[in-house]
Amino acid sequence: MKKIDKTVLRETKFVAIWVIIFSALMQAVFLIINKWDYTVLLGNLLSGFCGVVSFFVLGLTIIKAISSGDTAYAKKLMRASQALRTLFMLAVCLAGALAPCFNIWATVIPVMFPRLSLLIRSFTVKRMGPFDTPTTDTAPVTEVTEAEPAEDEKEVNGVE
Amino acid sequence: MLELAIGIILGCCALGAGMAMIAGIGPGIGEGNAVARACEAIGRQPEAKGSITSTLFVGCAIAETTGLYALVIAILLIFVAPDMLVGILTSTLG
Repeated sequence: MKKIDKTVLRETKFVAIWVIIFSALMQAVFLIINKWDYTVLLGNLLSGFCGVVSFFVLGLTIIKAISSGDTAYAKKLMRASQALRTLFMLAVCLAGALAPCFNIWATVIPVMFPRLSLLIRSFTVKRMGPFDTPTTDTAPVTEVTEAEPAEDEKEVNGVE
Repeated sequence: MLELAIGIILGCCALGAGMAMIAGIGPGIGEGNAVARACEAIGRQPEAKGSITSTLFVGCAIAETTGLYALVIAILLIFVAPDMLVGILTSTLG
């Protein structure tokens, strides 16, 4: 069995955790407005799980496209993957709309939870810095020392 | 007259759903371009693969949001909006 990339697993884990948090919040909202029943729970479970699976497949596709090294192949692969994932989510939404055991709102709303979690992720990355792993070819900021003033500047400032 | 109004509502909902799904074309093209550029970037700087992949992940997923919003709007226009609008119409006309 081929080993799954660590970045994919890390990002999927982050997204899954936030989807669970958002799902709990949504269930709480349905409880508060007195519209909760088992269809809300089933719809949320179906949609949340499929959203995380869709994100995982996106990650696997990106890794496959990058490791191929061929730009034309990468473009085609990403387009095909996006179309298939959209169809998958469409099927999930249709199931939520047509099957009586799923609440349509509880099925449609969690489709956007992985993207909301990535919005949070982008804020976190911005706060931490643009990249998780610093590259070795950049000089550390702490080692920067104040440069000696140039000869012209010494004359202007009156420094001997 | 009421049947005509209901027909117009249903037709407009279907038309709106179809037009919303036009937005599903863009993310695929955008993601393809982003990954192609990432391939080039990794080819130039192989040591930056980890950071490029992480950034690409978030970028691709956010780019896909547009398509999913369109999908959600289309689903709601087909399955939720007609019933609501027809209900409003019939209650208004009595």
